Amino acid sequence: MIYENPPLPEDVNVSRDSVLGEFLRLLVALIAIVAIAGTMLYFLGGWLARFVPFSAEMSWTGDAVLGFDLQEARDGESTQRYLQSLADRLAAEMELPDGMRPSAHYAELDVPNAFATLGGHIVVTTALYRIMPSENALAFVVAHEIAHIEARDPIAALGGGALLGLGLTLLGRDAEALAPQVAYLVLNGYSRRAERRADAAALEAVRRLYGHAAGAAAAFEALGAHEGRAGRIPTFLSTHPATQERIAALSDAAADWDRTSQPLLPLAVSTRD
Amino acid sequence: MDLIVSLVVAAVLLLAGLLFGRAAEKRHYADLKRREAELRNLLIFNERRLPADVVCSRAVLVVGSAVIAEDYFKHAAASMKSLFGGRITAYESLLDRGRREAILRMKERARTLGATMIFNVRFETASLSEDRSGSRPMFSAEFIAYGTALVP
Amino acid sequence: MELTNLESVPGKTIVKHLGLVQGSTVRAKHAGRDILAGLKNIVGGELKAYTELLNESRQEAIERMVAQARAAGANAVLNVRFSTSNIASGAAEVMVYGTAVLVQ
Repeated sequence: MIYENPPLPEDVNVSRDSVLGEFLRLLVALIAIVAIAGTMLYFLGGWLARFVPFSAEMSWTGDAVLGFDLQEARDGESTQRYLQSLADRLAAEMELPDGMRPSAHYAELDVPNAFATLGGHIVVTTALYRIMPSENALAFVVAHEIAHIEARDPIAALGGGALLGLGLTLLGRDAEALAPQVAYLVLNGYSRRAERRADAAALEAVRRLYGHAAGAAAAFEALGAHEGRAGRIPTFLSTHPATQERIAALSDAAADWDRTSQPLLPLAVSTRD
Repeated sequence: MDLIVSLVVAAVLLLAGLLFGRAAEKRHYADLKRREAELRNLLIFNERRLPADVVCSRAVLVVGSAVIAEDYFKHAAASMKSLFGGRITAYESLLDRGRREAILRMKERARTLGATMIFNVRFETASLSEDRSGSRPMFSAEFIAYGTALVP
Repeated sequence: MELTNLESVPGKTIVKHLGLVQGSTVRAKHAGRDILAGLKNIVGGELKAYTELLNESRQEAIERMVAQARAAGANAVLNVRFSTSNIASGAAEVMVYGTAVLVQ
C-alpha cells in the first residue's frame, strides 16, 4: 500500500487575477451607479413631492419658517411691511396660482442671505438688505425667491433628499459612507438648474414691474464686494453660485436699459441705523 | 473641502493597504513554500483507517492554528464586490494562507514529536470580529487543523 | 472522479493514498438579493437567495477539490467533509476536503 503526498498546484483555490485592476473597475462602476441612481432618485423624489398641493404645504407649516431660527429684526416692522408689499407686487406680475401668497420675513442676521422655504416663506436678512444699492436689486432677489416658491423648489428638495437618503440606506452600509459626498454632488448639480430657472423668472418679473431688468446684476456685485471686504463667502453666493455665465446673463438682460428715462429706485425704507 | 480631505485619506489608506498587504502576502507565501518543502515527507490524510502495517508507539492529537486578518485594501475591495455579488477573490488568498499556515503548524508540532504521518485531519474556520454595529469591522478568521500523529 | 464520505469506495480496492486535498470558495450575493433576504427576516421562511448562493459555492468548492485530486493523480476522493463559515459582509466561505486515492 502506497502512502504519499504529491505536491499540489498553487492556483486552484486562489485566483491570479489582477487585484488592482478589478478594484478600479469595481470602483468606477460603483461611482457611476451611485451617481446615476442618486440623480434619478433625487429627480424622482422632487417630481413626486410637487404633487403635494401647495395648500397642504401652507397649512402644514403655518407661520413657522422651517429650517431656520428666525430672529425678527429689531425695529424692522416697516422694512418687513416694505418687503411684503414688494413681494406682493412682484407676485402679481408673476401670476402665481391661486392660494399661493408668499410671506416675507426680515431676519436679524449679519450674514447677507435670502432664501425661500416651505409654505411660501421668504426670508431676507438685515445684512443683505443693507448692502442692496437700489430697490431694483432688492426686487430681483425677492423675485428670485418667489420664483423658487412658484416652482415648488423647497418641497422638491425635501422630497428628493429623502428619496436619495432612503435609496442609499437600502444599498447598504458601505453606500452610507458615501452618502454625504453623493448628496453634496447631486445637490450642487441640480441646484444650478433650479437657480437658472429662478433667475430667468425673476428677470421677467422685474421687467414687468419696472419696465427694465437693470439692477439685477448689481445685487450680485454688491454681494461680491461685501465678500471682498468681509473676507468670507456670503452665504447667498455659496448656495446661489454666481458663476461668470450667470452674471453675464443678468448683465445681458439689462442691455436695453435706458439709464436716463428709467432711473433705479432707492430703497423705500432707509437703512440708517 | 471636507470631501477632498476624506477622499485623500481614503486613497492613502487604500494604497498603504495594497502595497504593504501585497508585500506581506508575498513574504508569507515564500515562507509557506519553504516550510512545506521541508515538511513534505510528513504525510497527512483525513482517513480514519490506519494502514494495516502501521508501526506506531504513540498516537498524539496535534493541533495547528493561525489567525489572519485583512488589510484596508482587501476590506474595500470585498465591500464593493459584495454589492455586486460573485466570488470575492480578495479573500481567497487570505483564507488559503491561513489554512496552509495552520496545517504547517500542525505538521511542525508532529515533527517535534518525531511522527511521520498524521491521520484523520480535520479543519475548523471561525470568523472573528462579529460586531454588528455601524460599518463592517476588519475581518479576521482563525483556522485550526488537527489530527492524530503517529509516532513510530 | 468518484466522491464519497465513506472510508473506502465500495467494491474497489485502494492502490495509492495520495493525501489531503481541499477546495474552497468565498462568494457574496449581490445587494439586491441581500435586501430581499433582509425583508424575509421579518416574515420568515427559506432564504432562497442564500440557499442558491451556498449551493453554487459548494459546487465550485467541490470542483476545485477535484482539480487538486486530479493533479495529484487520483481517481477518487474519500472521507469528503464540508465546512461553511460566515465572512462578515454577507459572504460565506465553503470548504470541502478529503483524501485523494487511486482505486482499482
